[in-house]
Amino acid sequence: MASTPHIAVLGGGSTGAGIARDLAMRGLDVTLLEQGNLTHGTTGRMHGLLHSGGRYAVSDQASATECIEENRVLRDIASHCVEMTGGLFVKRPEDSEAYFEAKLQGCADCGIPAEVVSGEEARAMEPHLAKDVDKAISVPDGAVDPFRLVVANAASAQEHGARIETHSKVTDLLVEDGEIVGVEVEHASGPGKRVHGTEGGTEEIRADYVVNATGAWAGRIGDMADLDIAVRPSKGVMTIMNIRQVDTVINRCKPKGDADIIVPHETTAILGTTDEEVEDPEDYPEEQWEVDMMIDTLSELVPMLQEARTIRSFWGVRPLYEPPDVGSTDPTDITRDFFLLDHEDRDGMPGMTSIVGGKFTTYRMMGEQISDHVCGKFGIDATCRTAAEPLPGSEDFSVLRDYMDEFGLRSPIGRRSVERLGSRADEVLQTDRPNPTVCECEGVTRAEVQDAITQSGSDLNAVRIRTRATMGNCQGGICSHRLANELHREYDQHVVRQAWDELLQERWKGQRHALWGEQLSQAALNYSLHATTQNRDHDPADGDPVDFAAFDDGVDHTGGSGGADVAADGGRHGD
Amino acid sequence: MSDAEESPTFEPAAPNTGDEFEPVDVFPDSDDFDLRPGADSCYKCSTCDTNCPVAEVDDDFPGPKFQGPEQWRLKQTDDDYTVDDSIMSCSNCMRCDNACPSGVPLSQMHNTARGEYVSEQMDTLSVEYVRNRILANYRTSAFLASKVPRLANVAMNFGPARWLMEKTLGVTRERDFPEFATQTFREWWADRGGADASRRNARERRERRGEPTDGEKKVAYFHGCYSNYNTPEVGKAMVRVYEHFGYEVVAPEQRCSGTPMFANGMLADARRHAEVNVSSMSDLVEEGYDAVASCTSCSMALRQEYPELFDIDGIEEVAANTFEALEYLRINEDLTGAVREAEVSGDLAREFAYHAPCHARNQGLDRQAVELFRDLEGAGIEDVGESCSGISGTYGWKEEKYEKSMEIGEEMFEHMAHAEGEVGMTECPTCAMQMEHGSGYEIRHPLELLEAALVE
Ligand SMILES: Cc1cc2nc3c(=O)[nH]c(=O)nc-3n(C[C@H](O)[C@H](O)[C@H](O)COP(=O)(O)OP(=O)(O)OC[C@H]3O[C@@H](n4cnc5c(N)ncnc54)[C@H](O)[C@@H]3O)c2cc1C
Ligand code: SF4
Ligand code: SF4
Repeated sequence: MASTPHIAVLGGGSTGAGIARDLAMRGLDVTLLEQGNLTHGTTGRMHGLLHSGGRYAVSDQASATECIEENRVLRDIASHCVEMTGGLFVKRPEDSEAYFEAKLQGCADCGIPAEVVSGEEARAMEPHLAKDVDKAISVPDGAVDPFRLVVANAASAQEHGARIETHSKVTDLLVEDGEIVGVEVEHASGPGKRVHGTEGGTEEIRADYVVNATGAWAGRIGDMADLDIAVRPSKGVMTIMNIRQVDTVINRCKPKGDADIIVPHETTAILGTTDEEVEDPEDYPEEQWEVDMMIDTLSELVPMLQEARTIRSFWGVRPLYEPPDVGSTDPTDITRDFFLLDHEDRDGMPGMTSIVGGKFTTYRMMGEQISDHVCGKFGIDATCRTAAEPLPGSEDFSVLRDYMDEFGLRSPIGRRSVERLGSRADEVLQTDRPNPTVCECEGVTRAEVQDAITQSGSDLNAVRIRTRATMGNCQGGICSHRLANELHREYDQHVVRQAWDELLQERWKGQRHALWGEQLSQAALNYSLHATTQNRDHDPADGDPVDFAAFDDGVDHTGGSGGADVAADGGRHGD
Repeated sequence: MSDAEESPTFEPAAPNTGDEFEPVDVFPDSDDFDLRPGADSCYKCSTCDTNCPVAEVDDDFPGPKFQGPEQWRLKQTDDDYTVDDSIMSCSNCMRCDNACPSGVPLSQMHNTARGEYVSEQMDTLSVEYVRNRILANYRTSAFLASKVPRLANVAMNFGPARWLMEKTLGVTRERDFPEFATQTFREWWADRGGADASRRNARERRERRGEPTDGEKKVAYFHGCYSNYNTPEVGKAMVRVYEHFGYEVVAPEQRCSGTPMFANGMLADARRHAEVNVSSMSDLVEEGYDAVASCTSCSMALRQEYPELFDIDGIEEVAANTFEALEYLRINEDLTGAVREAEVSGDLAREFAYHAPCHARNQGLDRQAVELFRDLEGAGIEDVGESCSGISGTYGWKEEKYEKSMEIGEEMFEHMAHAEGEVGMTECPTCAMQMEHGSGYEIRHPLELLEAALVE
């Protein structure tokens, strides 16, 4: 073939970003289109479990086998996104012995290393487990940061020549002569990095092939060309605890059930989840009883959760899919496997394949299969390299450094920063400029924030997912304005204001379901701080750009209008 | 048996202002506590930072909010999550504990982190470690010195020796070492006839006071190192005052309370001493004795730091039955009435400039001396304010901290100078050193004044 094929990948979740990287590494021209930030969809609202496969070892052994394979790959290529915490399937006295045995056998069948530990041993590993737990199976579960992983995939795709467009919504599929030949895109703020207030616009992007990786939204993209893709979105709730009550993934060893897993995630622990089919992936009820159920049910495993502080809750929708002839009624029965729907074979509409279902843990494998499929279309014989080549940030690195000597950072802050940045730590943190801590809860310094701004423009939520700034216990109460301040110079004040508003909105959203006890005190403190020191309750300058030039210099002590010697510090009484 | 087995749940009820915080042992039979849950109560108001006397004068010290809830939340239980070395700049004054509106177990977090830092990260051959260990184990030096008190007094403050100590050990030579008494409190106590004599005296007093002679009034005196080796007059005053109210006193076997060891992260040393103290005190508590200390840091250690940091049989019971000497009498006797009727003359008929030690403040005792003695005829008392004296036990003895210690103390020195009296008063022996050092005043203990007022 003469020219390099251009592939449009729709959806900037783990699946889309993984595909974009794979195709770009194989030398194809790639454009990735995402309507929000990277991870805007389900990927940014998942549990963070790097499956060992243990959870599917009884019910869905094909998925389980894929999980353990990919689990090993990701530990290797995404080491700065993965924490190998290990996992336990914990059996309480009332849980079925037969199921415990079946789980153990299932793990053996799928090649998942599993070992039985006594209740006492389990409690020695995790002292906050309930006293009466019977025994447990230990498996190589891990924790994975979806934000970092997707950002690294996108960065790698970009290094290999891909164009990454966020805040760019696909509004139509271009169909010519019964073939899909491209997409129509609406950019929220012009192409390239997002800058608030930049004029947006529509763009027609022609492509030799389109890959639809929009997860729970895949059906909507299908609708644009009258293709029927029956994704069955199913929602699940997750509740974030302020601290890690456990350092190991704790699963309840029971057949499918709600509220049966705790995943340690960075400084927090995340409780989950539920499985309930919804109509619309963007509009579904979020209810307090779901949160209460997480806490009540999981305290049977870890009693201290009952009294512990939660900082927020969030919901995600699974992009479940099953072939139309299966017809499961309960969403938990739907397979976790993924499917390639080639619309030429299936619907007689060439030019696009959709990829639906699957899991975060297997994103790379999904990317590999669909890339093989796309390459096949163009007769390209390029091998997949994503299983061997580390992601940017995951090349050789060590977290054991002298943080003070090397970066001038206090050890817990340096440690967390290096964990997040991986092999990019030196490049980002070694700076001659002052490097104060901007977000104290998560230990994020100015250098890391500035690095994120360079990557993502004026979007503070994009800075947040890269750095974890505002994701700690004050939920942005103490640091949102500091982050906004970091945008200044590069960006003008009205851009900064919009970015700041947007960040506060986002932070507030998730806290609505954590407003009791300590987090309620926190919200009250945040409110009074923001109202009294930042005019957040009623900002007279809200909306319009502030004309700073219209401010005079105040009145000087002679009573005339101020000159250069006007006291800017409020002056002294009598002056 | 571990805490974990006793109390399965962590219970800072929400909202938990001031609630008890119960950590769970990470491993049974070790002192590695996981204090991350304590961070749940912090809402980052920074009140602790604004109340920390060290943060005020030391720009390199990140303050209690970072040291405590932030550092613990960022840490993980794996060994390779290290503790920041700035923990060694915290003086363990515990003012942050008191300042926090939300019940964050700050000093417990500092003490535990410091212990971990010293045992896992500090070079045990370093001068700083050796110096800190010597300072922390004051009892050992004092024990040796008390064998030859006159010689020790001269030798310890001998110019060239002090120069050498500063250069090689980093112990400031700006300060004079406290004098050793020629007869220790325990020597006096034994000479006087020990517990038997005290029982006789108490019986006699009870008879005179018209109380039942077989009454159960008995206390176990925790004198601590300082009143044993340096100021036995405080210990004697305690015994005489308590006997005056009809209490039998015993002086059980005891070691250092551990206060200087906590402040230097020497938790293994502290634990060894605590085991002796708890074991002898808990036997007595079981027999109906209450533990009474004349030093506010000692009472603080027994009632708060011990149960927070260690898991020793009987520790909770000892903690619940420990009191400071004035506090105990104020609870159980009509001390105010007695003082109101008394009059003091002679040596102690003076105006006193009183400083409340930080550790007294934490136990809610900061006003007791002033409230009590303002009604005493013949003497006057004035509070010199709520600032920290700045010495915080061993902190002010470190060469590199001396200046900061004096800067923290500045406010107190100023208030002492403005106060009417020219004699100082405080419950804490190291605050007393700092007061004396900064003002040149002689410093007395409230028990001494009480003895002068009440005991003929
Ligand atoms: C509650 C819950 C917990 C989970 N926990 C785990 C777990 O612990 N481990 C695990 O491995 N998996 C987990 N999963 C599954 C996993 O999260 C998903 O399978 C995976 O993230 C799906 O990624 P995706 O890229 O396919 O979809 P998405 O992340 O949803 O990506 C699709 C993207 O397409 C974008 N998009 C949609 N329409 C348009 C348009 N018109 N134009 C441009 N862009 C568009 C969306 O904004 C979105 O960002 C969980 C799922 C849920 C719901
Ligand atoms: S104990 Fe004292 S010195 Fe240490 S952090 Fe608290 S207030 Fe500061
Ligand atoms: S005073 Fe208490 S709640 Fe406030 S920042 Fe300090 S530890 Fe946190």
